[in-house]
Amino acid sequence: MKATPPTWVRQLLQKVCPPHLYESIEGDLLEQFEFDLTAVGETKARRRFTWNTLRFLRPGILLRNRFTNNLINTMMVGNYFKVAARNIQKRKFYSFINAFGLSIGLAFCMLIALYIQDERKFDQFHTNKNQIYRMEAKSYDTWQQKQGDPYEKWAWLQSGLGPVLKDELPEVERATRFNDGNRAIFRYGEKVFTERLTYVDKDFFTMFSFQLLKGNADKIFIDKAEIVLTPAIAQKYFGEEDPIGKTIEIDNNGVKSFTVTGIIEPPPAQSSLSYVLLLPQENRNNYQHQMENWGNYGTPTFVQLRADADLVVFKSNLEKIVEKYVGAVLEQARKVSPIPIPADVKMLEYEFTPLPDIHLKKEISWEKVSDPQYSIILGGIALLIMLIACINYISLSLTTSASRRIEVGVRKVVGAQRNQLVYQFSFESLILAVISLVIGFALVILFLPSFNAFTNKSIELTLLNGVQLFSVGLALTLVTGLLAGSYPSLFLSRFKPAAVLKGGFTSRLQAGFTKPLVVLQFALSAFLIICSVMMYRQMQFITTKDLGYNKDQVLVIPTQAGWTEASDRVVEQFRTRAQQEPMIVSVTGTSSSFNQGYSRYGFKIKEEMKSAYVYAADPYYIPTLGITLLEGRNFDANIPADSNAVIVNESLVRDMKWTDPLNEYYNWREDSAGMGARVIGVVKDYHYLSLEQNFEPMFLSMDKRNVGYLTTLMVKVTAGDVTAGLDRVKAIWKELFPDKPFDYTFLDEDVAKQYSSYQRWMSIMGLATGFAILISCLGLFGLAGINAVNRTKEIGIRKVMGADMRTIFYLLNKQFVILAVIAFVLAAPLSWWFITKWYMKDFTFKVPVSWDLFALSMGVGLLLALATVSYHAIKVARVNPADTLKYE
Amino acid sequence: MSKEYLGEFEELVLTMAGILQEEAYGNAIVTEIKERVGREVNLSAVHVTLYRLEDKGFVKSRMGGATHERGGRRKRIFTVTNAGLAMLRTMKEARMDLWKLIPQLKIVGI
Repeated sequence: MKATPPTWVRQLLQKVCPPHLYESIEGDLLEQFEFDLTAVGETKARRRFTWNTLRFLRPGILLRNRFTNNLINTMMVGNYFKVAARNIQKRKFYSFINAFGLSIGLAFCMLIALYIQDERKFDQFHTNKNQIYRMEAKSYDTWQQKQGDPYEKWAWLQSGLGPVLKDELPEVERATRFNDGNRAIFRYGEKVFTERLTYVDKDFFTMFSFQLLKGNADKIFIDKAEIVLTPAIAQKYFGEEDPIGKTIEIDNNGVKSFTVTGIIEPPPAQSSLSYVLLLPQENRNNYQHQMENWGNYGTPTFVQLRADADLVVFKSNLEKIVEKYVGAVLEQARKVSPIPIPADVKMLEYEFTPLPDIHLKKEISWEKVSDPQYSIILGGIALLIMLIACINYISLSLTTSASRRIEVGVRKVVGAQRNQLVYQFSFESLILAVISLVIGFALVILFLPSFNAFTNKSIELTLLNGVQLFSVGLALTLVTGLLAGSYPSLFLSRFKPAAVLKGGFTSRLQAGFTKPLVVLQFALSAFLIICSVMMYRQMQFITTKDLGYNKDQVLVIPTQAGWTEASDRVVEQFRTRAQQEPMIVSVTGTSSSFNQGYSRYGFKIKEEMKSAYVYAADPYYIPTLGITLLEGRNFDANIPADSNAVIVNESLVRDMKWTDPLNEYYNWREDSAGMGARVIGVVKDYHYLSLEQNFEPMFLSMDKRNVGYLTTLMVKVTAGDVTAGLDRVKAIWKELFPDKPFDYTFLDEDVAKQYSSYQRWMSIMGLATGFAILISCLGLFGLAGINAVNRTKEIGIRKVMGADMRTIFYLLNKQFVILAVIAFVLAAPLSWWFITKWYMKDFTFKVPVSWDLFALSMGVGLLLALATVSYHAIKVARVNPADTLKYE
Repeated sequence: MSKEYLGEFEELVLTMAGILQEEAYGNAIVTEIKERVGREVNLSAVHVTLYRLEDKGFVKSRMGGATHERGGRRKRIFTVTNAGLAMLRTMKEARMDLWKLIPQLKIVGI
């Protein structure tokens, strides 16, 4: 049998070798093989064959096909560059419109990319993030069941749970509780401020990756009178001194001294946990009581599971914990439940969520929790703007295509193939897109601070995410550049050279396909206009709506005296002192001001479940806030029985189905002996809650022991010079209570804060709308210009025949007006759907969506469109026909 | 043409292609170089050089007849073009001009 070279080598060669070279190369190799066979024998010949073939695997052979292609392309790229640069220069205005639109679109997209990246980065910096879980309670709701879901979930748990989990479950390696939000007065020498307190356990320092700048994580919080500060707080009290070992006094229902044993870095912006200082859990008010009470949920708890922990086992162990500690409490709750509970329903289950997931788990309320929907909506807005900008590019390139016709014809005659022309035009759009990218990147840097303000974030541009962002931008640029460039380049490259060069075309530019694009573009803008007008109206409505009380010129000041009678005395003292002041109109005290928390009590009256909001008040409350008293009388300090009386609102009267409320008693304390609290007055419903919520039953009471003390001072100052009034109030405060910090807010600002997220969304929408309108108007302006140029001769003839300015103006603008109207007709239902489904559903009190909204938006849009196109129409209509016609 | 330049190996291969005329294909050139210059060259290197020369326009190629020992595969025959010949000539003349400028060594003594 004849010897053959190895088959796999030949197959390899066949696979990688350019086909047109393959035959002769293989032939040469085989010839060499035959020669070797006789010269050196079969084995060696085969080896040499293999070696010789492998030597062919070099770029000069493998890349031969592509190599020749590249050669031609790189030859032309220089020319493409030149032509593109000339075109951009020649039509500066159109290039500007395109680059401007694209760069704003790109800037928006990059900002949104930053936003989404920031959302996803939340809590990712913890080394143990995959083992840390937040504990959650899933509880059967016996009180006010939501539609469809009888369970309630929250992240507040019993105080005892954290230590129990750590001690009893083998899966749990570490656990910490995290109580945050209470405030207390801090004193160090002369310095007195209120600070936010955060109570944690020892494990906090080892579980999470917040870096301890000073102090030893293993030794912290062994003593209960220790405190760990962030550098800012340490600086505030101790200045440049070394804070470690210093003692600071905290007045939190009694003064105690704490020793600083550590300095911890402040939590980064992308942390779900935030704090300014840390204290051991044991210092919480009523700590012992809380530890024993398994019916009280108020303590967020985090656990770190062992690396080998089985989540299923953990879950079943949690059920045992429920059984062991909460069983009795739940049994009791089951018995007294106002609604029957099926026997197979679990009253309480513990669940848990991995730390990195809690930021976007919107169904469980948490300080910084966010809705993933926001990312989608923001992304949608950015895409809309991008789309509008792309449409500008497409329609402008199409309408200016006539001027490139000759170029295309000549190129084709000289030998350009169609795909080369496609390359060329795509290349041009890419150049423009890259220019836009650079401008867009500059815009991102410029707008980032305002974007942060709008979205309530603190994103910074670092080198790392700058590079990432630039690559995202580059990818987007390539995609949009090719996308926007694809249709024009296909369109342009289609010209037949013979037809073009013969000159058979009229001087008119074809713009057929651009019309639907303009409609689409205007529909998108109209959609944004209607949405933002709607949002603006709702905000107007909210901020100007009569809330039923007077929120102006009212200062809200916490008494800083805790939940004790001392607070009442602060209010009393202040009022007595303020009576001599002409600038202070009146002074009252309450348990909590609006949007600073509330109390809501649930109780049974005549076997029926009732609930009501409760505010502690004094006789000055109703006059100070200007609340309307419909029936009965205000509280009177001289009638002792009033301390047990209530003033109710209309909703409560309706809820109780009273016909003569002044003769009723409201037994909210479930007093079995007496009749309950006497109703002495009825106030008109006023919005003590946000306008997202309806009026709910509410009553005012002076029953300090059961409702609460007057922990908040409200001072109404005279209209006019509010700053002077504020200074006066501050001076009096300092005079009366030199050892207490003066923290204040204005009531109207507190109320406005409830709507800050809506305000933010309105600003974002407004900004997006502004840019969308700007970009589409620029596009329209360009189109109108081309349209006018196209019809110069026609208009000249019409003028010669006797047409007047008005007719010509009408002639030129008619089609744009029609397009704009079509766009609005398309956009109206879409925006109505969006607004009612997404935005307005959160409000109980809302401005009606009426026809005049759409009419107004349409009017504004039409006016803008008309103003844009009129410039060209007037210009063309005024030209002397002799100038345009003399060349014919 | 002054910009064009041939490498030493390119020139060698081009010259061989000129010598071999109708028989100028990859393997033949390798053998020819070995016989005339005594230099072992690799087949793939010769191929790449030939293709490069073709890109530059100094040789043309066509598929020639098959022979039995090539497993029936056809040969790619390279022919030197006019440009190639001109290039060879220019290079030779340039070298001769330079050669003349070297002071002639004289054998002194004995």
